[in-house]
Parts: sequence; structure tokens; C-alpha cells
Amino acid sequence: MKKTLLLSALVSISFAAAQKTVTLPWSGAITGPTSDAGASYAAGVEDYCKYANAQKMLPGITLNCVTRDDQYNNANTQRNFEDFVGNLNAPVFLGYATGGALQLKSVIQETKIPTLTASYHIGIIDAPDNTYTFLPVSSYSENIVALLEYIAKKERGAKVALIVNPSPFGRDPVVDARKAATRLGLKITDVQEVGGNNLDNTALLKRLEAQGAKYIINQNTAGPVANILKDAKRLNLLGKMQFMGAHYTGGEDLTKLAGDAAKDFIWATSYYLYDEANQPGIQLVKKIGAQFKRGADTIRSVHYTSGMLASAIAIEAMKRAGNNPDAAGVYKGLISMNGSRSFDPGFAVGPVTFSAKDHIGAESLRLLQADATGNFKAITGAQRSAMFQLVHPMK
Amino acid sequence: MPASRFTQTGNYRTRYRQDQTIFATYAEQLSLIVLIGLLLLLPLILPKTMLRDVNMIMIYAVAVIGLNITTGYTGLINIGQAAFMGVGAYATALAATRWNLPFFLAIPVGGLAGALVGTFVGLPSLRLKYLYLAVATLAFQIIFEWGVGHTPLLAQGGAISLPQVQVFGVKATFFNHNFVWYYLILPVLVVMGLLWRNVLRTKHGRSLIAVRDNDRAAAAMGINPGTAKITAFMIGSFYAGIAGGLFAYFQKAVVIEDYGLHISIQLLAMAIVGGLGSLPGSFLGPLFIVALDRIVGGTSNWIGSQNLFPAGVDAATALRPLSFGLAIVLFLMFEPRGLANWWRLSRLYFKKWPYKF
Repeated sequence: MKKTLLLSALVSISFAAAQKTVTLPWSGAITGPTSDAGASYAAGVEDYCKYANAQKMLPGITLNCVTRDDQYNNANTQRNFEDFVGNLNAPVFLGYATGGALQLKSVIQETKIPTLTASYHIGIIDAPDNTYTFLPVSSYSENIVALLEYIAKKERGAKVALIVNPSPFGRDPVVDARKAATRLGLKITDVQEVGGNNLDNTALLKRLEAQGAKYIINQNTAGPVANILKDAKRLNLLGKMQFMGAHYTGGEDLTKLAGDAAKDFIWATSYYLYDEANQPGIQLVKKIGAQFKRGADTIRSVHYTSGMLASAIAIEAMKRAGNNPDAAGVYKGLISMNGSRSFDPGFAVGPVTFSAKDHIGAESLRLLQADATGNFKAITGAQRSAMFQLVHPMK
Repeated sequence: MPASRFTQTGNYRTRYRQDQTIFATYAEQLSLIVLIGLLLLLPLILPKTMLRDVNMIMIYAVAVIGLNITTGYTGLINIGQAAFMGVGAYATALAATRWNLPFFLAIPVGGLAGALVGTFVGLPSLRLKYLYLAVATLAFQIIFEWGVGHTPLLAQGGAISLPQVQVFGVKATFFNHNFVWYYLILPVLVVMGLLWRNVLRTKHGRSLIAVRDNDRAAAAMGINPGTAKITAFMIGSFYAGIAGGLFAYFQKAVVIEDYGLHISIQLLAMAIVGGLGSLPGSFLGPLFIVALDRIVGGTSNWIGSQNLFPAGVDAATALRPLSFGLAIVLFLMFEPRGLANWWRLSRLYFKKWPYKF
């Protein structure tokens, strides 16, 4: 009996000793600006990471799931990165804001830490210093060019106006959008910047109406877009103008804020939505959300799904790295995700594919339109923008 | 000059020259040397992430000295100090990447750019006062952000990466970045602090204070208030430009978000909490605000994770601006002279200790 006890104790000790702890870190805005999206994103990262531990996805490895608030402050993001990589020895970094991601590019290049961000700004993966940075899904620029393609199919020669956030996040897609519009035979009548403090958009909308702009494409967050839609409804412009937007403009956030003014809004995103219950990825989102007792609002948010995708990609790359996942192993794991080895956790409308040259994960996107109840329904299948690859060839 | 140069029991100065000495006693001189000695040893004790905070405090301190020059010493309200920092940061970035200047030349270029722009922005101070001038500086902050956001040369406010720095054969890498930069920022802060302390003893420094206290009386005494105000803006913006250049290198890339209006307000809060028109306050203010931010950040995270409030009520997000605003209001109400006054009272107490009188 004593021998059995001793043996089982030894086995337990050796098993415990064999378990390695690897940190999976995320830094983003849990509080502060854009925390409406950031808090759900953080929950998604953390819950999928804990789920991976519970499922023993990485044999012999326990994940240390760390989500840390950087309050949308670049200095805090750097501080967190230094702590994760310098002290916690994290082999991968999951980031959030555009500014923080752009500022970290040279450090990421120096430390060779593979990085995935919640910002889908194409500049993050543009040269230089772009070896180790990856976008989990298609970029904002591609979202917008896909919307332009949709417009061009419907109405060649249409007048389009862009409303963008007054920041690098908002401005970056404008150059590609202009190039694409020229090639597609569309006319961009105006590019206006609108931030989060837009309380009355009457002048803006009247100006766009006077220009004859029929299609309004937004590159912004849901808050400012909701205010524009509410003002457009008040001015009876909703039927005359078709409002559209890239990933962070739409979804539950928009319908919650804009109410019935969001009806008919066309949204480009790579993610499946909560209401698509037949999708295995969404079933998993619901299961994990319930397991970790998240509120209904969090589970319904597309940002919860986005966080899970980022976490899932990082964990899959660690899995491919083998028993001892370091930064080099995770990088190799990431760039192996192509062809028959592409990764499809079911959260996005296409599989995640990366290579040494391809740093965009789920490249496919869909266009969805809000119905009278505020739910978004797909109006296209999963697709890539053909024009985007011409106007922004990746180096 | 006190009877003993080791202790000060009263003001025994009989000549203007004595009144202009930087240190009244050897004890003061010694305490500064000891303090600098301790500061030189600090990186050996502190963890790396805390060292980053100390570096941030020192950079903000340079900017706050500048703000104190315009607002604290000259009485010109400035809500655009972060924009002056930004001017310095972008000028430094351009000097380093376009002209390939080494950091020890690129940072002064940032300071000079800040001073140049500051002089121009200070021109309205010849006609405007109080709230009106505050709005003029606020306008500059907005113009700066808009201007950078629409300038392709400045990456439309996107990132301009700065080259790695090498000092005495040691390259600042990811692993020694905070360490190397600590020893680069500290001398700059000490020199800038001493420089201002010296300027204050000159007629130029005194004329700024005279203009703050009563510009008509100052004019009657032969001081040109206009020149004094422009000089204040020029020097204050020079400090901001240097701080911006240091910040640009320290952050490794310049991004417009680091120089927004919220940072200007934060710098003003640092100056108020530290004590307007006080050199020690310029160090204590950034220390207090950065420490408060760390503490409140931790508390916010904890509150957020406890689910104490119903869905839709984001109390954790509210806590940071609430505590920040509350700190400023409480200081304005109960200690308008800021932490510098506490520092002064502590020094007074220890000067007399163990005697009560």
C-alpha cells in the first residue's frame, strides 16, 4: 500500500514537473476610450485561453492567461509588452489599439515576438518592420474596397463619400479607397473626419446631400456612426443615402446605439455573428461564454468572438511549435497555417492562412445588412476583394 | 549669507550677489549631491517596469518645468503644452530619420522647434490674457493635431520610428532600453532644472514673476511685459520640445495620440498638483499623477473583474477620470500651493528639528 502511495505521489510530482507554464498575454482597453469593444475582446481572449487549458489543448503546457488594461494609452501598451516579454517570457503578444501596434513595430521586429492585434490597420503589416506582425482577419482597407466593389456592381459611376475617424485608424484606408474608386469608375465626392464628439451631423449630412453622394462609407467606431445614422433619419436621408462601414462600425454595438436608424446599414466584416446559430464557431462561443458565466451582452458582441479568434490562432501556433513553444516556434507555427494546414476554428467566414509573405489571417469577408429588428443578415457570401490586391499589393 | 554656511537660521544676506546664490547653505548643496547619487543608483534597485514609470515621470517633469515657466512663473495659462511636446517629438523624428542626426543633436533640434513654434503661438499673449489666452493655446493644440493628421511628411499622425541609440558603445536594445534611457534622461532633467533655477535668479527670470504678479506695475518698473511673455512662451516651449524629443526616443516611435489634448490637461494637472510656480513641484506633480494612474489603474481592473455593478454601468472606466479630476479639485480647494508646499513645510520642520522654535 505504502509503495503504491509513494509511486502515485512520484507520478503526480513528475507530471506536475513536466507541466510547463506559458504566458498568453493581451494588452488593450478594458477601461477608457473604446473599452466598449475592448472589454468584450479581452473576455474572448481570456475565456478561450482558459477553455484551452480546460481542454488540455497543449499537452504538457498550462497557459497563463493574462489580459491587462492599457486604457488605450500607447505608453501603457509598451509597459505591458515589456512586462510580458521581458519578465513573463511570453512567446506571442496579442495587442489592441492601432497607435500602440504601430509604435511597437520596431520593438516587435527586434524581439522577434509574433504579434496579433485587434486593429486591422493595413499599416501594421506594411513594410518596414513587418516580419512578425499579423492581422487575424482582413484589413479595414480591404473592408472598404469590398464595399466600393459592391457599389460599383450596383451603380457604376455612383458618388461616394467617406466619413473617417480623425486618427491613423480612420485615415489609413483613404488612399486605397481613392485608388480603388478610380479603377471602379466611382466618384469620391468628399472625405470628412468625424470623431466621437459628433453631437449634431446636420451640416455634414446636408453637405454630402448637396454633393449628390448616394453612398456613405464609414471607417470609424460604432458610436459616431450611430449618431450620423440618427441624424440621417431625422433629416429623412436614410432612403436617399446608403450608409455602410468597415468592421468596427457595425454589429450589435451599432444597433444598440442607433436603434431603428441602423436599418439597412451595410457592414463589412470577416466574423460570424451571434445569431448564426448553425455555425460551429458561434456554438463554441456560446458554450465557452456560458462556461465562464459571461453576461448576454458580452457573448452577443462580435468583439467577444474576435478575442477568441486571436487567442485561438496564438494557441494553435503554440501547438504547432511543439513541446517548448518559444517565439521562434510560434512564428513558424503561424506561417505554417496555409494550404492543407490552414487553421479554421470557425469564428471567421474563412480559414486563417498565414505564410512568410501572407500576414492576413481570415482573408475572406462578407457584407451584411441590418434588418428592421437590427439584426445583420449576410447579403454576400464569403469573398475577397479582388480590387484591394491590385491597389495595395503586399510586399 | 547665513552666519554658518552649514545651517540656515535666518536670512543674513546683505548683498544682492549673496541673494543670487543657488544654494543658501552647504547642507542644501550636499543634499542635492546625495539625491543625485541616490538617483544614479536607483536603476540597480527598481524592477524594469517601474523604471519605465520613473523615466516617464522624468520626461513629464521636463515638460512640466516648461509649463511652470509659462503658467506658474509668468501667469500665462497654457492648455497646449502637449502640442509643443509633439512639435519637439516630430522635429526630433524628422531630424533623426531625414537628416540622420544622432540623438544628442536631434533632441535639441526638437527643443529649438518647440521654442520657435512657442514664440509664434505666444504672440497672442501680447493682446490676450487669462481665459482668452487659454483658448488661444487650446486652439493651437487642435491645429497641431489636425495639421499633423493631414501632413504626409509626418505619416498623417501614424508612426515614425526612431533609430536605436548607441551611447559609449552600448546600444539601447529592448532589454536595456529603460536602463540606458534612465541615464540619458536624468542628466537632461538635472541640467534643465538647474538651468531654470539659474534663469530665475537673473533679471529675465525675475521679470517673468513681476509680470505674473502685476504686469502694469512691472511695466512701470521698466520691464517690457510683452517681451517677458514671449520669452516665457519661448523657454516653456523649448522645455516641452526637449521633453517631446526624449519621449519620441523613449517610445521608439512618434504617434499623434501621445500628444493629444488629454496629455495637455494631464500636464496642467501635474503642474497644479505639484504647485504652480515651484521647481520642486515640477518633479512632485508628475510623480503624484503617474503614481495615481498606476494605483487607480490597478483598482479599476479589480473593480471591473468583480462584476459589482449592473450590466451597462462601467464603473471601472469612470474611476480613472473621477480620481484624476477629484485630485485636482481637492488640491485646488485645500492645497492650492500643491505638493511643493508640503515639501516646503517638511523642510522647515527638519530645519528646526529637534527644536520647536
